[in-house]
Amino acid sequence: MTSAPAKTPHDEIPAGPRKAARPGRGGAPGPAARRAERRLRRAANRDSVPHAMRGSTGGRIGRGLLLVLAAVVTVFPFYAMVVLSLKPAAAVDFPGSLVPWPLGGEAYESVMNSQDVPRWLFNTLLYSLASVVGVLLLSSLAGYAFAKKRFPGREAMFWSFLSMVMVPYHVTMIPTFAMIAKLGGVDTYWGLIVPTLANAQAVFLMRQFIQGLPDELFEAARLDGCSELQIFGRIVLPLLKPILATLGVFVFLWHWNDFLWPLVIGQSTDMRTLTVGIASLQQQNVPLNVVLSGSVIAFVPIFAAYLVGQRYFTEGVTASGIKG
Amino acid sequence: MAVVAEPTRNRRRRRSGPHARREARIGLLFVLPCFLLFLAFRFGPAVAGVLMSFTDYTLTGGGSFIGADNFTRLKDDPLFWDALKVTVVYTVLAVPGTIAVSVGLALLTRRAFRGSKVFRSVFFLPVVTSLVLAATVFVWIFSTGGPWSTAMGWIGLPEESWLSHDTLVVPALALVGIWSRFGYGMLILLARMQDIPRELEEAALTDGAGPWQRFRYIVLPQLRPALFFLAVIETTASFQVFDAVYTMTGGGPANSSYTLVFQLYDAGFKYFDLGYAAAIGVALFALTLVVALIQRLTIGKED
Repeated sequence: MTSAPAKTPHDEIPAGPRKAARPGRGGAPGPAARRAERRLRRAANRDSVPHAMRGSTGGRIGRGLLLVLAAVVTVFPFYAMVVLSLKPAAAVDFPGSLVPWPLGGEAYESVMNSQDVPRWLFNTLLYSLASVVGVLLLSSLAGYAFAKKRFPGREAMFWSFLSMVMVPYHVTMIPTFAMIAKLGGVDTYWGLIVPTLANAQAVFLMRQFIQGLPDELFEAARLDGCSELQIFGRIVLPLLKPILATLGVFVFLWHWNDFLWPLVIGQSTDMRTLTVGIASLQQQNVPLNVVLSGSVIAFVPIFAAYLVGQRYFTEGVTASGIKG
Repeated sequence: MAVVAEPTRNRRRRRSGPHARREARIGLLFVLPCFLLFLAFRFGPAVAGVLMSFTDYTLTGGGSFIGADNFTRLKDDPLFWDALKVTVVYTVLAVPGTIAVSVGLALLTRRAFRGSKVFRSVFFLPVVTSLVLAATVFVWIFSTGGPWSTAMGWIGLPEESWLSHDTLVVPALALVGIWSRFGYGMLILLARMQDIPRELEEAALTDGAGPWQRFRYIVLPQLRPALFFLAVIETTASFQVFDAVYTMTGGGPANSSYTLVFQLYDAGFKYFDLGYAAAIGVALFALTLVVALIQRLTIGKED
């Protein structure tokens, strides 16, 4: 599993002729033809890098080894998490316990029977999904208005949003908590969810995206007699699909992994999210396999989503510049 | 594009009357739900946080103005200086470490080869994983007789649990931080590397520049803005390190991994000394700003 298969220097002839040999796009190519074309294009790409810039065979083997080593180090904690969660409580020695047999689901049974973890899973799902819906709705409305409407105070409002991107969350957390406590929102779902709905980054990204949409679309709908809400629901929202997906994944991830706010607001066991609950298990000297099975339960949904929509994860996280 | 846009804007500026008023009403209506929540839970609290740091506010009472007393108290609080030291040491280890690994892996996965996408996906996986979850398994990895101490034994170092050692606990946490963050830096740098004109490197190659020289004199200068961005983002994140510390060490042993946000958390939610907690938040903010400014003047300078 090093890099591309080793080639003799004779294979690496300049790119020009090969690129030219690429088949034209006439007709409707079948899947096999498309595959072949893709392979050719990839080869052409490879060849357009001068040979010397790709290093010697030895260099490429070295690069492959380094990459494999880095991948093993990266994956090892995930592997250990899954395997140890499937072991009996006593088996935590190294390296013996990393052998993937015999495996058993006792830890999962005890975790799912304890009532706590299913409840935390529910809380986490509610926190994440409600926030995604709320943030996407509010930020697309606001982003549309900032991008396409003129109204008094627009610039001032927008700059106040922007200015908050730099203020650390911890400065605002203490007064927010004090306010929620006064309103009786500690240990409630609304106290957990509502303060996280106004997301300055989401508004900013929405505005950027909507500014790029042509005004003519909205004008035409207006001339056809659509109301503003109809224009928003039937024309703007469908056009926002790509940014809604990217932003939705990011907001979901941020809330799913959020820790400090759920920790301070959810004070009873029943109001914890998975991250807070698992941290509490960790501190209560619960057997390792039970803690880790909780971690696996919290990780699997994110992992599954990552496998399916990886593009949205990388786009969302890089576009926002923030980790969840 | 510009030709079309100009007249539109002029027409809009002149426009007034019922249509413009209607547009303003709709605009406000669409912005208000978000803006009111934002005022209540972000902008308002940010202002209140600064004001609160000058009061003796607690959940049960207080709230009177006490001038800079919280900051004087902070200055004389040995716990604060310890927490600051732990936070700075963590940052000094984690940020350069993360950026170095990011640069290395971005260089290694830069050119497409069979499997390069798989490697990139693997390296990004820790970024989407909650640090609390990762922490539960890292506790085992760093335990006595666990993989890390065994590996240390192989290279002739004492086999001990780094998490219960007062000087090794912060490096252990920094390693976890690097593991969880390098994929993000790698992705940012890869995006930037795609924009480096290939002709530059090819020209250097024709002039006989080796791989190191091409990296040092062609690639690295082009990466400078991205590296500055990463340095600021990673430093800010490091100053706020909490999730992994809370789960893995609880600040121990004997406060040797007690960070600033941990102190803020304890002051606010263990002792309900909210005014003092707000002062720690303000100090954290000031520190972040100063360091970002220094980074701007060093790595970020235009030349």
